Amino acid sequence: MDNISSNLSEALILLAIGMITVFLILALVVVSGNILIKIVNKYAPEPSKKLTRASRSATGTAPEVVAAITAVVETVTAGQGRIESIKKVEH
Amino acid sequence: MEVLNKLYDMTAFGAIGDDPLTLVMLVLALFLLYLGIGKRFEPLLLVPIAFGVLLANFPGGNMSVTPSTEIIEHMTILEIAKEHGIMNMLYYMLIKTGLLPPLIFMGVGAMTDFGPMLRNLKLAFFGAAAQIGIFTVLISAVALGFSLKEAAALGIIGGADGPTAIYTAIKLAPDLLGPIAIAAYSYMALVPVIIPFVVKFTVTEKELKINMKEQDKLYPNKVKIKDMNRIKIIFPIVLCAIVSILVPSSVPLVGMLLFGNLIKEIGSDTNRLMVAASETIMNAATIFLGLTVGATMTASTFLDKTTLLIILGGFIAFAISIFGGIMAVKVHNLFAKKKINPLIGATGLSAVPMASRVANDIALKYDSKNHLLQYAMSSNISGVIGSAVAAGVLISFLS
Repeated sequence: MDNISSNLSEALILLAIGMITVFLILALVVVSGNILIKIVNKYAPEPSKKLTRASRSATGTAPEVVAAITAVVETVTAGQGRIESIKKVEH
Repeated sequence: MEVLNKLYDMTAFGAIGDDPLTLVMLVLALFLLYLGIGKRFEPLLLVPIAFGVLLANFPGGNMSVTPSTEIIEHMTILEIAKEHGIMNMLYYMLIKTGLLPPLIFMGVGAMTDFGPMLRNLKLAFFGAAAQIGIFTVLISAVALGFSLKEAAALGIIGGADGPTAIYTAIKLAPDLLGPIAIAAYSYMALVPVIIPFVVKFTVTEKELKINMKEQDKLYPNKVKIKDMNRIKIIFPIVLCAIVSILVPSSVPLVGMLLFGNLIKEIGSDTNRLMVAASETIMNAATIFLGLTVGATMTASTFLDKTTLLIILGGFIAFAISIFGGIMAVKVHNLFAKKKINPLIGATGLSAVPMASRVANDIALKYDSKNHLLQYAMSSNISGVIGSAVAAGVLISFLS
């Protein structure tokens, strides 16, 4: 019985420490995220172009063709599909 | 006649007859297979777990996991494989060392998009409130006579994160690994049932109709993001540094999650790594995790009162976590001008993205224009971080 009550008091301490820590970490996520956004907005306001997988794998494929194929794959696969490479098939 | 006797001895019939409880485990394995295949409840994990149960409970196959003893822990992997079979080799090499849950977290990170969270950073707080179930069930389990370590491993089911629950169980209560894994993944599969159940009793119709996009129009965010790609690359590095400094024991999980996310966000330069993390490694880790966890569930270790209490406690932990998130939103709405739909709080669980999808579906039932998926994803993703941090706190205090 004594063991349970001492465990219970330790469990209550864990509740307090655990919840405070989780809130603290997520508060820091919010704060650091906001600071990061402000810094990036200030020093790098122009959107960087992320190299898509398709744009590099498509050797010699025109960007507008890559964009069209990407859009089709996105639509048909409901965002689940991914383009690994684009090859022209000769008939 | 002697030949027939030898043939009979070669089969498992005799051994099954000697221990009828084995049959109960085989039926349980078939039931879990039905849930995974027929009902499509988390099939990627439930099917390997169920098959692991099946393999472990066929006598003579030497595929069940032998509970850890000092002798086994001092054996080499080769000796374990020789004396206890390959399933024990896999278990002691991949599970007992705690290797697989972080590898799965890396894959989860490579499939996670922090974009919705960065666009609605404030909503990340509700991922913290939804961890309350972990700690309240910890207290209840201690009151029921569980040791602190066992109670903590049980409570973490409330985080609704399978790999985190398994990782915590490995570290704190390895003997309870099987039932905890089953409870965690079963309840994750039942998120579409549990969230509506809790919402029904705690949220009013008026609250469910709070339209997040309209609230955004009325009270727009002060800071607009100009370069999301760059922020998404820097964010996991910054977050990793914060978590590593404050809760180092959660780094194996959170650190790997953030690494996986970083290689996704960099783009084509690390595309091969991202594919390896989210497909090759993730799939292999999931197979071995499922089979070995399933193989820990034999009649002698699984069929007792503790398992029932874990299954029940897991459900309560889940429900309280959802309730905690909802209540946090309600308290926020009492003081803030910009109202938040309480469903956002309900998604503070880690079950990504199922919890968000369920919340979105509920909102659409009450208002066909209220698409809150992106908002729900914010608290949902922060819930993953929250539950891993909670696990880190429990491990560092109790192990």
